[in-house]
Amino acid sequence: MAAAATATAAAATGTLLPHALLNHRSPPPPQLLALSSSFRRLSLSTSHRRTTHLVAHSDAGAVEPEPVSEPAPEGEPVAASADSEEGEAEGAVALAEEEEEPAPRPKPIKFGEIIGILNKQFIEEAEKVKVLPDLKPGDIIELRMQRPNKRRLSLFKGIIIAKHKSGVHTTIRVRRIIAGVGVEITFPIYSPRIKEIKVIRHKKVRRAKLYYLKYKLPRFSTFK
Amino acid sequence: ILWVSLHEQIRTFIQMRTNLKVVDNSGAKRVMCIQSLRGKKGARLGDMIIGSVKEAQPRGKVKKGDVVYGVVVRAAMKKGRSDGSEVQFDDNAIVIVNNKGELIGTRVFGPVPHELRKKKHLKILALAEHIV
Repeated sequence: MAAAATATAAAATGTLLPHALLNHRSPPPPQLLALSSSFRRLSLSTSHRRTTHLVAHSDAGAVEPEPVSEPAPEGEPVAASADSEEGEAEGAVALAEEEEEPAPRPKPIKFGEIIGILNKQFIEEAEKVKVLPDLKPGDIIELRMQRPNKRRLSLFKGIIIAKHKSGVHTTIRVRRIIAGVGVEITFPIYSPRIKEIKVIRHKKVRRAKLYYLKYKLPRFSTFK
Repeated sequence: ILWVSLHEQIRTFIQMRTNLKVVDNSGAKRVMCIQSLRGKKGARLGDMIIGSVKEAQPRGKVKKGDVVYGVVVRAAMKKGRSDGSEVQFDDNAIVIVNNKGELIGTRVFGPVPHELRKKKHLKILALAEHIV
């Protein structure tokens, strides 16, 4: 991309400088060392095109005096000509950037982001149907769920002991003592089967996962 | 018992030498599993096992040392359901049946899951206190 930038800049001026092609390939001959290094710096600054071209300008401007001073005894005439060419290239690059600004390219979606985007879409669709309160471990909730062949919604009460976040399959684990025996049920909260979740109370806990409730007295998991 | 993370014990199948609680009034109190009739690794919620009675009440239908069939009604291992939810209980419990699947006792204590409906143990569901 750097080589292409310099190539386009050079092409705009009308001259294709061989240094542009030499940039990152072979080590340049010693008298042109300063020139190619300066071009390299120019191309680096132009590669950050998303940032303002003003920055690129100042960078290139700052870079300019350095290589001029370096080859002072040797390549002064060459350096002088390179200066003017650099200036032209700079101007051409600035023009090219201004032309591109009004029609920005859409940002390409990276392969690894697809799952995140899909999950967000599914969650948005699920949220439209029902409104979910903010669920945290320690909340005592009442949950209404639709069972396959039943008309009435079944009711589940209990304390949330864990919340596993994973996009649209975010699950909460709800614990309750039923008929003398502790039962823990994991519910996927964005499932269309779950019609309503209501937070009744909140118990102050200092943990994210309350697995210790299994080993405590049953009365800590009993909710009327 | 598996330890997958430091925070929680992950319970596994009901296999040979697993002690199970008996939750009906057939007379037995504890049964040790000697064979799981379904699954290579062991029995899960709703499966049948063969067990040996280790502890029994004095006057009951089964005595200590009897070999009996049982249906697992509560398991400490998670059982997944088709809607994405999972159920687990705090203990392992069975109900004693004969080899045809008919109940020996007349009452069932504690909650039972509705997985038993699919396994055709409708009598247990009818007698249960609470269906989860």
